[in-house]
Amino acid sequence: MLRATLRSFFAHKGRLLLSALAVVLSVAFVVGSLIFSDTTGATFDRLFASTASDVRIAPRQDFDAPGGIGSAETPTVPAALRARVAGVEGVAGAHLDVSLNRTTVTDARNQPVGPTQNASSIVAAWYPSEHSPVQVTSGRPPRGAGEAMLDRDSADRKGIRIGDTLHVIAPPGTFSVRVVGIATFTTTNPGASLVFLETRAAQRGLLGSTAKATGISVDAAPGVPDSVLKSRIGAALGSGAAAYDIRTRDEQKKSQAEELGDFLSILKYMMVGFAGVAVLVGVFLIVNTFSMLIAQRTRELGLLRALGADRRQVRRSVLLEALLLGVFGATVGLAAGVGLAVLLVVALGWFGLRLNTADLVLNWPTVVVAYIVGVGVTFVAALLPALRAGRVSPMAALADAEVPGAGRPLRDRAIAGSLVGAAGAAALVGCALSTRTALAGTLLALGVLLTLVAVVVAGPLLVRPVIRLLGRGLEPAFGAVGRMGRRNALRNPRRTGATAAALMVGLALVAGLSVAGASAAASVDRQIDRTLGADFVVQNTSFAPFSGEVTDRVRATPGVGTVVRQRIVPLRLHLPDGRTVTTVAGAFDRDFDAVGKVTYAAGGTAAALAPGRVGVQEKFAREHGLRVGSTLDAVLPSGRPARFTVGALTADSGSGPAAQGGVFMGMATLAKYVPRGQDSAVYVNAADGVDPQRLRADLERTLKPFPQVQVNDRADYKQLVSGQIQGLLNLLYGLLGLAIVIAVLGVVNTLALSVVERTREIGLLRAVGLSRKQLRRMIRLESVVIAVFGALLGLGLGLVWGAATQRVLALEGLTAFAIPWSTVAAVVIGSVLVGLLAALLPALRASRLNVLAAIAHE
Amino acid sequence: MSTSVADTAKGAAGGHETAARAVSLVKTYGMGEARVVALDGVDVSIGRGRFTAVMGPSGSGKSTLMHCLAGLDTVSAGRVWLGEREITGLNDRQLTRLRRDHVGFMFQSFNLLPTLTAEENITLPMDIAGRKPDREWLREVISTLRLGDRLRHRPSQLSGGQQQRVACARALAARPDLIFADEPTGNLDSRSGLEVLQFLREAVDGLGQTVVMVTHDPNAAAHADRALYLADGRIVDEMARPTAESVLERMQIFATGPKAAQPLPATGAGPSPNADSNPAPDPDPDSDSDSEPPTAPRPATDPPTGPASSPDAPRNG
Repeated sequence: MLRATLRSFFAHKGRLLLSALAVVLSVAFVVGSLIFSDTTGATFDRLFASTASDVRIAPRQDFDAPGGIGSAETPTVPAALRARVAGVEGVAGAHLDVSLNRTTVTDARNQPVGPTQNASSIVAAWYPSEHSPVQVTSGRPPRGAGEAMLDRDSADRKGIRIGDTLHVIAPPGTFSVRVVGIATFTTTNPGASLVFLETRAAQRGLLGSTAKATGISVDAAPGVPDSVLKSRIGAALGSGAAAYDIRTRDEQKKSQAEELGDFLSILKYMMVGFAGVAVLVGVFLIVNTFSMLIAQRTRELGLLRALGADRRQVRRSVLLEALLLGVFGATVGLAAGVGLAVLLVVALGWFGLRLNTADLVLNWPTVVVAYIVGVGVTFVAALLPALRAGRVSPMAALADAEVPGAGRPLRDRAIAGSLVGAAGAAALVGCALSTRTALAGTLLALGVLLTLVAVVVAGPLLVRPVIRLLGRGLEPAFGAVGRMGRRNALRNPRRTGATAAALMVGLALVAGLSVAGASAAASVDRQIDRTLGADFVVQNTSFAPFSGEVTDRVRATPGVGTVVRQRIVPLRLHLPDGRTVTTVAGAFDRDFDAVGKVTYAAGGTAAALAPGRVGVQEKFAREHGLRVGSTLDAVLPSGRPARFTVGALTADSGSGPAAQGGVFMGMATLAKYVPRGQDSAVYVNAADGVDPQRLRADLERTLKPFPQVQVNDRADYKQLVSGQIQGLLNLLYGLLGLAIVIAVLGVVNTLALSVVERTREIGLLRAVGLSRKQLRRMIRLESVVIAVFGALLGLGLGLVWGAATQRVLALEGLTAFAIPWSTVAAVVIGSVLVGLLAALLPALRASRLNVLAAIAHE
Repeated sequence: MSTSVADTAKGAAGGHETAARAVSLVKTYGMGEARVVALDGVDVSIGRGRFTAVMGPSGSGKSTLMHCLAGLDTVSAGRVWLGEREITGLNDRQLTRLRRDHVGFMFQSFNLLPTLTAEENITLPMDIAGRKPDREWLREVISTLRLGDRLRHRPSQLSGGQQQRVACARALAARPDLIFADEPTGNLDSRSGLEVLQFLREAVDGLGQTVVMVTHDPNAAAHADRALYLADGRIVDEMARPTAESVLERMQIFATGPKAAQPLPATGAGPSPNADSNPAPDPDPDSDSDSEPPTAPRPATDPPTGPASSPDAPRNG
């Protein structure tokens, strides 16, 4: 029996080729994602470990605010602290750290030296240290004001040489420096651009005073453990230590890794999630392959049964074949996954993150996952066909029947499909009616899952009605060839259904995401139209704060009328209902009404922007027990408490930053807690009688030295937002691409196996005069019908999902609903192309069949 | 191989009533050691409006001969005409069109597309060609084959005999120059087989078609006007108006081995292994077919059931 199984496996290896490819691709994607995230994680761990000092003293930071530090000044420690720390027993050395993370540095042509248009540079004080990530490789380190050292990657990218001038756009003001040295990364370049200054020059230029530093790095004397040193420093600083975060090397490593880890694990889960979709799609392909192989081998299996093999042995032989396929697919997929990870690393290099492909981390769990996915998926997919194979009767050996399988009733599927479908529909309706975001989200996920299962189960039932309708045009257009193509697609509804379902999964996600994306973009558009009254908004494409010089220049531009600044501040709100919410609040100048249109449920702009007051979104207030006049307690990232009074409630979330709660206040209120800082946006109106286009040109000219900001009118602003949504969608579409590729392989697989199955028919058709061209067309039409069927199912399902998702988004204020018809049309046209593409090889193969050999084919 | 190719070719071409002919037809498979000669210098002509049976043991080359005459297979040497047209040297596309428009086929089994109804199967070659079927002719064919009540059925809903009748109707539907039937009764019970043979006979007599049937069944061959006997890739015998008994007798002679059989001049028909060199050993049904009544000489549906009026209409086809 084992020998028969092995023989059969190798005899049919050609027919298993595409199934193997599907397993390989799924496994490769999973493995690639895991290796990639392990590698980035390990690389950064190493980077953090090598660059962390033994003990570091930093300003106290109570919570990691979404969006960084906001508009506030960079938190600092007194420079004098260094002397006190240096005197602690066991300290071998203490250095002043002066480092600003998000600083724009431009070259002589006003182009930023960061890796991308908006990427900023890290500007830091230089001191020689074994923990430095770089090494001076040409020129010398900066020795005084006006000198700088640049990292080699940035220098190479922008063609900057020693002697060139750079402009550092720092919070205290822009200053120019001359490049005197180039430093090369000794560790992985994490995608940063580094500019080093002499310490005192850095303090003055970046922080405005030589009395401040952003932290102090301490080297331990030999034999002194970091933790001991930390407690000694803490003791030496006494009660003042509460203002600082003192961390050992290990603690620094951990907190940095955690910070990055969040991002990396989101990335990892996203990639693995999409790999899961690909795996799911692969299952359809494998199920189809095994079903078809077993259908084609019914007589052979019947013979085995007649010769005395029992059901279990037949079943086992099929499962063993699946196992072999799975092991093969997982092994090749593992290798391909390593290749994929290398590709990802190389691709990241283009974005400035230079990982070393030699450092690839292949952990044993990755290997285990590869085999679990590869073997498990194949095994599960082959289970049903194996059961069916076991049911083949010995009589099948004698029967001269044509391939069975099409005839079995679909009633069970109809019942199961309707039940699951009804549950899914109920969940989606519940989601649409729900008023609470969390509940709606859960119902949405449940509904999506159930409706997907329902359509997959009931798909074969939809084959006949939908394809009959679809194929109606084929016969008039293509005559007998069209008729046969359509009938062939209708021939085995299970097979067609499963093939189309594979395509459906990917396309349904594309459609759902595109509806959600388009709805979000339309909502934002509507919000911008409704709330943005300014002629122009000057801001950064990443919405990060920028130098105050920008605002000064805007004010000084002739023709400028009202100017309203916006600042943002991360806050941790302690709400009356006992909940704590971390959010970002906005602050505006008094003339806010001239640039923004806000509808209030209670109070007005004056009340919201009055000293000590805030405006809060009405819905948020209601949920957390806030009213006009309530006290709102908050904490700033530095740990400083703040107390506000609710002055007004807004009717919608369209004012200022659309963060949770929609908290906003007057500039004066913010200044009490955050005295100095940077603006995150400047709203500008043209003065009376000034042509806005003229003003725009003037503004753009004035702001030329500040490439980090752009002048946007309402249309630009909309485009900026929809561009970001589209960027995200494109990324997701790209990740779904793999699932769609596997689905296309599934169509190829079905067609190829069908061609084998119908060899005699093809011979007959050729004998009675069907030309090769017509034969190819017949197979292409079948393929297109299957693909379009899958696309229609996917679009239908996706639109429903998208509509339900929009209801969830509506709870968050994104109330518009939009169907991206261009995407819908693209999916339909794309599916036709996919059908044509998938038919390419099977059609070629069919048309090359020898007529006589085909007729005589068993 | 034969030396008198030119003569025979002329001789065969002389009668314009030839539906197909081959001259010095050679077909080999494989190369070198593995070379197999399937047809070894066959000269043959198929009379128009006649029912010809090609007989021979398996491996004798009878199917290969049919495939070559029908444009299904290429020849290694020699020439083949279908009607007045030489088909040797045609490319695949030309051969395909030729088959579609001028040849009808019946195979032993798997004659019909399972996805098409009986009627769609019947009109398939014309549908492929994008031509409208001749409705009147179609009706005649369908009623002759008694398929009127089966037209909407799928092949899986038809019996084996019915399926072969549909295949026969398809072969007839386009009014081809020639119908090739490859063991059309091989898979049928004797009653259904007899029925199919009677329909083929009827197609020749009543509808004026030309039929070439490959068979190894003497009873089937007995329905033909003429039987050709192949052995080892050559035509070793030929018999006019064969009967089951005479065919069986001949087969038994050849079954002992064609070589041994060669010298035996049996039953007055030209028995020479090189049938070509023999100008006209038989009563030549080709030449005097006009004078003969078109009625079947053998057991048959004597009064053509359906279209009794049409026998001469398709004659000129």
